[in-house]
Amino acid sequence: MELYEYKASELSEMLASGEISSVELTKSVFDRIEKTEPMIDAYLTLNKESALSEAEKIDSKRAAGEELSPLAGIPIGIKDNISTIGLRTTCASRMLENYTPVFDATVISKLKNAGAIITGKLNMDEFAMGSSTETSYFKKTKNPFDTSCVPGGSSGGSAAAVASMEAVMALGSDTGGSIRQPSSLCGVVGLKPTYGSVSRYGLVAFASSLDQIGPITRSVKDSAMLFDAICGHDPMDATSARREYAPIGGTLNGDVSGLKIGIPKEYFGDGIKPEVKDAVMKSVKAFESRGATVREISLPSTDYALSAYYIIACAEASSNLARFDGVKYGYRCENPENLMDMYERTRSEGFGREVKRRIILGTFVLSSGYYDAYYKKAKLLQKRIRSEFDNAFNDVDVIVTPTSPFEAFKFGDKMDDPLAMYSADICTVTVNIAGLPGVSIPCGYSETGLPYGMQIIGRSFDERTILNAAYAHECDFSGFKAPVIADKGVEL
Amino acid sequence: MNIDIKHVAKLARIKISDDELPRYSEEMDNIIKMVEAMPEIDDGLLVDESNVMDLREDELSDSKISRDEILKNAPKVVAGCVVVPKTVE
Amino acid sequence: MIRGYEVVVGLEVHAELNTATKIYCNCKNSFGLEVNTQVCPICLGMPGTLPTLNEKVVEYAIKMGHALNCGINRICKQDRKNYFYPDLPKSYQISQADIPLCHDGYLDIIVNGETKRIGVERIHIEEDAGKLLHSDKFDGSLVDFNRCGVPLIEIVSRPDMRSSDEAKAYLETIRSILRYIDISDCKMQEGSIRCDVNVSVHKPGEPLGTRCEMKNVNSFSAVVHGIDYEANRQIEVLEAGGTITQETRRWDDAKGESVSMRSKEDAQDYRYFPEPDLGTIVVTEEKVQYLKDTLPELPNARIMRYIDTCGLSYTDASMIVDVPEKAELFDKTLEAGCKSGKLLSNWILGEISKLMNDGTDICETNLTPEKLAKLVNYIDSGKISTAAGKKVFDAVISDNADIDEFIEKNSLSQISDVSSLEKIAADVVSQNEKSVNDYKNGKTNALGYLVGQCMKASKGKANPAVMKELVLKLLED
Repeated sequence: MELYEYKASELSEMLASGEISSVELTKSVFDRIEKTEPMIDAYLTLNKESALSEAEKIDSKRAAGEELSPLAGIPIGIKDNISTIGLRTTCASRMLENYTPVFDATVISKLKNAGAIITGKLNMDEFAMGSSTETSYFKKTKNPFDTSCVPGGSSGGSAAAVASMEAVMALGSDTGGSIRQPSSLCGVVGLKPTYGSVSRYGLVAFASSLDQIGPITRSVKDSAMLFDAICGHDPMDATSARREYAPIGGTLNGDVSGLKIGIPKEYFGDGIKPEVKDAVMKSVKAFESRGATVREISLPSTDYALSAYYIIACAEASSNLARFDGVKYGYRCENPENLMDMYERTRSEGFGREVKRRIILGTFVLSSGYYDAYYKKAKLLQKRIRSEFDNAFNDVDVIVTPTSPFEAFKFGDKMDDPLAMYSADICTVTVNIAGLPGVSIPCGYSETGLPYGMQIIGRSFDERTILNAAYAHECDFSGFKAPVIADKGVEL
Repeated sequence: MNIDIKHVAKLARIKISDDELPRYSEEMDNIIKMVEAMPEIDDGLLVDESNVMDLREDELSDSKISRDEILKNAPKVVAGCVVVPKTVE
Repeated sequence: MIRGYEVVVGLEVHAELNTATKIYCNCKNSFGLEVNTQVCPICLGMPGTLPTLNEKVVEYAIKMGHALNCGINRICKQDRKNYFYPDLPKSYQISQADIPLCHDGYLDIIVNGETKRIGVERIHIEEDAGKLLHSDKFDGSLVDFNRCGVPLIEIVSRPDMRSSDEAKAYLETIRSILRYIDISDCKMQEGSIRCDVNVSVHKPGEPLGTRCEMKNVNSFSAVVHGIDYEANRQIEVLEAGGTITQETRRWDDAKGESVSMRSKEDAQDYRYFPEPDLGTIVVTEEKVQYLKDTLPELPNARIMRYIDTCGLSYTDASMIVDVPEKAELFDKTLEAGCKSGKLLSNWILGEISKLMNDGTDICETNLTPEKLAKLVNYIDSGKISTAAGKKVFDAVISDNADIDEFIEKNSLSQISDVSSLEKIAADVVSQNEKSVNDYKNGKTNALGYLVGQCMKASKGKANPAVMKELVLKLLED
């Protein structure tokens, strides 16, 4: 077994015992990248040199007997909308093609302090807007289980890199499903933490009130370990929650006896592929056999969640992305005739179609005369959706749904129909709207070997319960199954 | 619904060419239709008291990024200033 | 009233707060430093950065709210105001829309001796934008972001003013309060107070006219000129049978005229919505009350106190109160035992103002309130003359002289001892028979001559008032 194949929790022990060095591990991961990246296209920027020198430092610290964090020496990939000092951060947009941040996101500082090794920056939908990573200005990332299929999105690069073992773990970001949906499509574990539990400082904002950074990994324990490292109150982020976070990593035991599971009927409707429903329900049965109780619940406003989501997300995005104007950083059009020309051409040439579509929708819903009918109404609906979840959690401990209505689809299949693409988020957006934690874990495979994902939703700040349930499931279903990455008949 | 896409695009400082216009209009109409299916909610939007934030102490930071560094991503810089097309006649 | 029209004025005053750091980041809040050196990723709006609200900004705004008798929304939020301009790095300004920190207050102003109450609609907090620099020699504009994120309060009045004089008095009173509660440096030439003026005209009894907003009105004289100009412009349009269009105009102080800034077609649509990067502002009731309780005496109250208890005229009282350092010195000198507020005010508005106008910080000089009290009391009691007082004053300022020693050494003390003066008077009267007769024959100016002779005989040390009385007494016997 190659070093890149191991999970972070295993590697952490191997590093600690001196069985392997971080340099060996990092080299192994970069060898893997060299081999499979031509088929996967997960990375936008590689950080090899700096990664190897950081790995050396960690090894010498360890040799000197310093006490190190469990993440020390472990190679981690970063979604390209998370600010990394001195390392290009493009958001997969032409707008930021040559942008190199002068500061680190709080999560990056935390990872660096923990001694994690940053492998590079991962592809995504442009400014995290999309569900297939096809809106990236630079390249299309392929699904490691079938390179003619999308990896999901927007954190498609992160999920594909982890699934193809081009990174031991990765950070993604999730605004409406952007961690969970690609994790589902790539057969890996993805956690969208509770809003406010992970600092957003340095995450290039798409929709400030919904965005959250989270881990994408090949095991539940790894997700817990990475979440433990990045969560916590940050004075730089006024929306970050001031509270204590007990480490989850060491507490997972898979004990779900007495756990009350809610199955919301609205998430098993006509839009969801029957095979996906079956896979999820099979997993639910397994929970029951471990002593959990299951009941059907109702979250009646679910049908409107997608609408509320697109209004809130696009409204905030139209404002958040207004700073890309060709003045201070990023793309500026050639030879602007005047100020207006500079603004219009810079933004029309620098942004791709999906981004422009959402900016225009967001601008419209906030514009004079429409605010009440759209934005205000969406916020009221958000309030109602939150209280429906609150009520549900009076009766159950976790809520289980499919992550995505369907498995990975072919490139181009949904690019021409925004509504079809938006429907990929139908099971995940409510969780962002309600600010709750949700984890996606693989729960089965299609006839053609494409993964299905199950979503477990929990109470605010109760990541432990959903991760423990996920861990129980992982024990039952043997967890991550490495894809056979095939290209022109050559198996890698 | 008839949205003046060109006006909205102008507000957003995005140029839409005439041949892109029908596609934008159609997409926007579809999205708006979906959105308009939302139920009426007769309720006020109050300030969310549960979402209290901590305020920052009025204390200077010691960390400082040099001007050259902080302007290194700017498309055009002259004499320590970012340059834009003339804003006055 | 101008040509039968009533002028209606409302003011939006933006005041920069003198906090140590900016409103949403801990960059230095300063003026006049080298371009783009007081900036960080946050105030430059770099991708991924987030704002954190400076607690002092909230406190200062609440103080101003109390000073202007406002209600305080101790639970409120911030909103984004979206528009594109190169001096606005995020392309939105974080401000407050429907729920300002302070609301529905008022300010009493005094114009021509009469008190008038001007309504204050709201006070909200927001961030300042950067500065654009232009040069004829350079094809383009330069952006300096140092001012981005400097904290501002915007004080919006109701349209309660009816002349440029009232507007000026309102502004002066606002400025005076800002200084008293020490939340702004109020340097208009540095742009730390800026003003947008809303002007409309109408015939009395008719509904209010359409208003025009005038921006860039950045000095007190510009406020007066701008309002007068704009009122006259609107009257001329109406008199010529035209109508006023609601628009934003820019005041050009050099040319003395306002020019239309933008037409209705590209009217701004700021698309306000709640700032999702910030949580709710919640100020405790205790804090709101504490800020009220610790508010210093406000200028208007101080003016009234000086009039009522010290016998100052309104003009003198307001001139002292207008400058907090002067008022501070006035009060401390009274505390130090000064017996004549009236005489003290003459000194503060005379010699001391002269020094201050020359740039002297009066707190840094040798003139302590105790010394000033002694000096004024000596003049008041006749121990020394006003002219001698000036010498003493100069000696204190330049050499930190001991007042009593200096008077002694320079023999500045006046003779007020009646018996020694009586002798001088008797001698002079007996030696000047002609003048005495002149006086008795009705030539009253002979008295002046006689008193002058007495002063001469005393080598200038006699108290002239006492001397005059004694001579008169001898003449009338």
